[in-house]
Amino acid sequence: MADMFKDVLGIEGVHGVLVFSEKGDVSVSQFTTDCQSDAEKIKGVDWSAMVNELSGITEAEIMFDEGRFYVRKAGAGYLLVILDDQAPVSMVRLNCEVLLPTLEKQKVGKGIGQLLRKKIF
Amino acid sequence: MVPKVLIVDDDQSWLSLIQKELANYAENFMIRTADSGEAALAIINREHIMLVVSDLRMPGMDGFDLLSRILGSYPDIPVIIVTAYDRPKTKDVVFRSGAAGYLTKPFESDVLAREINKMLRKKAEGGNLNNVSLETFLQLVEMEQQTCTLQVMNKAGNNGGVLFFRNGELFNARIGEQQGKSAAYEILSWSSVSVSIENDCVFDEKLIEGDLQAILLDAMRSKDENEEARQAAAEENEIVLDEPVSATESEEGEGAPHQMVPSENPGPDQPAEAQQPEEELSPVEAVRRRLTGSLGSYTGVKDVYSDTKWEPLVSTAASVGEIFGFGELSAIYANKGGEGQYLIMPGEETTIISIDPDAPRDKIIGAVS
Repeated sequence: MADMFKDVLGIEGVHGVLVFSEKGDVSVSQFTTDCQSDAEKIKGVDWSAMVNELSGITEAEIMFDEGRFYVRKAGAGYLLVILDDQAPVSMVRLNCEVLLPTLEKQKVGKGIGQLLRKKIF
Repeated sequence: MVPKVLIVDDDQSWLSLIQKELANYAENFMIRTADSGEAALAIINREHIMLVVSDLRMPGMDGFDLLSRILGSYPDIPVIIVTAYDRPKTKDVVFRSGAAGYLTKPFESDVLAREINKMLRKKAEGGNLNNVSLETFLQLVEMEQQTCTLQVMNKAGNNGGVLFFRNGELFNARIGEQQGKSAAYEILSWSSVSVSIENDCVFDEKLIEGDLQAILLDAMRSKDENEEARQAAAEENEIVLDEPVSATESEEGEGAPHQMVPSENPGPDQPAEAQQPEEELSPVEAVRRRLTGSLGSYTGVKDVYSDTKWEPLVSTAASVGEIFGFGELSAIYANKGGEGQYLIMPGEETTIISIDPDAPRDKIIGAVS
């Protein structure tokens, strides 16, 4: 599972990757070594409110002065990549496109959670 | 004049190798190389490049970024993407981003040469004309209401430019990154040219106002004035510029070269609307102006309007960005599948840009952000 996001996390400027369900439960969160502090930040986000607003959207890029979120609908949830403003976003899109079929095979949330647990324990 | 093809790759040894191997095709095309996206753009701006072949993964400006910039500023230059990063869907994503071709590394140099020749043939599908009188030929294009793109090579200056015609009307012109009437004047002032004709035009909207006859007359006057200046200088043993003074060098600043367009006439390069300060415009009008200014004739935008229904998304996204310390929200791109794609601009009024389903989004995002 860790390998699944290796390519995305290896892109310069990528901080981390999240997968969350349609209920807003975060099932996967991985961050690059330099951006481990982002793991704390995601706890402060109401992802269910975000999911609500993303309803009907298959792909989104949320652009800020100093960073960006790239979001893809993935099966029964969403894949979200956290980037800085210098990251090559087209390369991120390409890698997510490549990841999507694998993610869609999983039941995002329960499925990926189970898979993670299997690997960990 | 042999067309120039620019090959971009950060791998210098691969560049040298491919340049050496493609030297066998020197009769068909000339190879120029760049080791980064930034260096490539500098060459495209300086020289008349007919085709770009770019690697996908490069440090700094990658192949996607370069492609997006070429689509934005030089839409007539096709780009072939070559990559060793061939994953499922890579090809789809590359074509969806606007590339004209795709090759997976490693490949035989002959394969690349075939692809280059195919693209170059398309750019001259309507034929090649040597030592032609440009003004006479353009009158013919106008009379026959042709839609075409003309690659014009200036034999004297060893440079080139592009003229875009739709239904016999001159829609746009380009020399390097210079576009519009000033580029047209410069191309039309060249005395000895060869022309390649492509039976297509990437521009749907007219960027150059005025009819062809008036533009031709102005260009001829400029050519005469330049010729007189050259002769006068020769008599005085002075060195003068071989080409007309470019728009950026002109004392009037932006717009057509000196003495061509009266300063009180802004011309299409300076729309009359630009006289009104942006702060006096409504958010929707300000976005429309920025789009027109940056994209010109680009038709990827379906509509620009104000809509409050996106405000909850804007506010939720802004609060998440705040948690991550990303600063202010500048825009949200949202793809709703079959329903369409949108660019949402926060502000006093939430402004929505509705984008054609097939339009490369980066060009529009780049224009307003």
